[in-house]
Amino acid sequence: MLAKIAVRNIFRNGRRSAITLMVIVFGAVALILFGGYRARTFFALRESTIRGRVGHLQVYKAGYSKARSQKPLEYGLDDPAALRKEIESVPHVKMTAAQITVMGLISNGEKSETFLATAVEPQKDRAMNNQRVVSGTDLPDNESDAVILGQGLAAAMNVKPGDYLTIMTTTVSGSLNAMDVRVAGIFMSGVKEYDDRAIKLSLLGAQQLLQTRKVEKLLIFLDDTDRTEAAHAEISQLFASRHQALEMKEWRELAPFYRQVVALYTGIFGFLGLVVFGIVVFSVANTIMMSIFERTREIGTLMAIGTTRARVWRMFLAEGLAIGVLGGILGVVIGAALGALINHGHVMLPPPPGYTVGYPLRIMLNPSVLLPALVVSIVTATISAVFPALKASRMKIVDALGHI
Amino acid sequence: MTQQPLVHLTGVTRNYRLGSVSVPALTGISIDIDPGELVALAGPSGSGKTTLLNLIGCIDKPDSGRIVIDGVDITAVPLNRLAALRRSTLGFIFQTFNLLPVLTARENVEVPLLLMGVPRKDRDERTSLWLRQVGLETQAGQRPDQLSGGQRQRVAIARAMVTRPKLVLADEPTANLDSDTAGRILDLLADINGRTGCTFVFATHDPALMARAGRIIHLRDGQVVTNHPAERQLAAAV
Repeated sequence: MLAKIAVRNIFRNGRRSAITLMVIVFGAVALILFGGYRARTFFALRESTIRGRVGHLQVYKAGYSKARSQKPLEYGLDDPAALRKEIESVPHVKMTAAQITVMGLISNGEKSETFLATAVEPQKDRAMNNQRVVSGTDLPDNESDAVILGQGLAAAMNVKPGDYLTIMTTTVSGSLNAMDVRVAGIFMSGVKEYDDRAIKLSLLGAQQLLQTRKVEKLLIFLDDTDRTEAAHAEISQLFASRHQALEMKEWRELAPFYRQVVALYTGIFGFLGLVVFGIVVFSVANTIMMSIFERTREIGTLMAIGTTRARVWRMFLAEGLAIGVLGGILGVVIGAALGALINHGHVMLPPPPGYTVGYPLRIMLNPSVLLPALVVSIVTATISAVFPALKASRMKIVDALGHI
Repeated sequence: MTQQPLVHLTGVTRNYRLGSVSVPALTGISIDIDPGELVALAGPSGSGKTTLLNLIGCIDKPDSGRIVIDGVDITAVPLNRLAALRRSTLGFIFQTFNLLPVLTARENVEVPLLLMGVPRKDRDERTSLWLRQVGLETQAGQRPDQLSGGQRQRVAIARAMVTRPKLVLADEPTANLDSDTAGRILDLLADINGRTGCTFVFATHDPALMARAGRIIHLRDGQVVTNHPAERQLAAAV
């Protein structure tokens, strides 16, 4: 009966309830769109960071992260082939990729620039798909002197695919070494600062340049990001059982930009959420307060015929709950429909600071986005009813019965 | 053996505050009402009828004096803790009917039984019985705004009676009704009183209602002026 009275009272003043429901729907839609955008952005950034750059896990020789070595690859992995075979036997490991980072000078004979090269296994690098080749080809498989250049660096060197450049760096023994390289292609990552300095070359080419057979690190890719911690534990156990002096890092430690974006967006959306929460609380509380004012005599009657204060409190709380459930469900349906419409519309957002390309506006619509919107709507509307309900339950019966 | 009164008031006083001034509503009221009586509280507006009804109905507290309802001294018990007594022992009929507009006639009658936690089957039987008693079986599914004033008051009577109370308190139950409808409501109340032995206390201005009462308590300026069987008072009036 309590629920029946609550629900029927919602429809008693249709216009007022409709406005309140609209506010709750607005709140739920805002939560879904902002939350879905946030979730999608986090997901896309996380996956592009992992699959395009850092992998789910990275393995180094023990001491790598604390070493301040002057020589390249002093803390390199000596026998990566055997190690990756062991790692790839662990369940959910999809692939491993060896990498070396090289810094040095690049010259076209007329001018020199500093570069930051990532030496990769070309086939694995293509699988990571983290850059867009805008001219020429991607890094070829069996050509140790081929490189691809970031768009900015290619412009600075004034080269096109097929041209030759010279790269120079320090070998593992500390001497200088240079190598002529053919520009196979030009790529863009979308991050201007990176594209102004970036080179990619084959692992073999880098090892020839550095005069070593070592690799700097092994990137481990899993079939599911949510399995990172479990895989980390399992691989650590494997290393411990073989007494291998290795260290490992998870993607989260290697992705400071991702962490910054998460912190920034969480702050912004947290504030927006607070604003929405405030609007909904005041709107629902106002509706219930007005309802209580109009129904003062009914409250007096109910208490006169033996309804306890606690029951009156629960009755108005039930009204808040009912408004919340109704508004929440409507909000989720409308929010999901709007989200789907936006996703279908292929809306492009302008490039974020530091980027050269925009990205599509996508709203993630899954239970982790929709369910919180529903729960928040219900909880907020119910909380909004607490104070008005308390006020109703504390009325003096005689005063309430005499209310006009 | 002397019958114990259902309602026993001794030296009851109730004052209201009007700004900084304390206005006496009742002063030193001492009355007894026995089970099965049909008592009218008469007197001009402001004489204290409704205040007395509220005190007997356990919805207001006296400033001094003692009130015993059905053997329970309620004087020092907080109002909220008297909810159970109000549910089980008392019934209320209001001048403006005070039905819940979102509920049907049947649901309005059912509310007190729900509050008492009466099982569904028993609840349905008792609700149907009282809707039949007040002649509203066919209007059971209608909401108050679809009923006439007389029908609404019948629903209110059924709601008051459905819990089988020992005492029903009615504040001007016929004041908002035309004389024909009021007459039929009075017939109904007198009939219920006769058949169930339930005690009725009315606050009223209505001479027709006073004529049906077994006893009339006249109040003026918050004090009992006369408290005699109705025949004697009406005869004195003639």
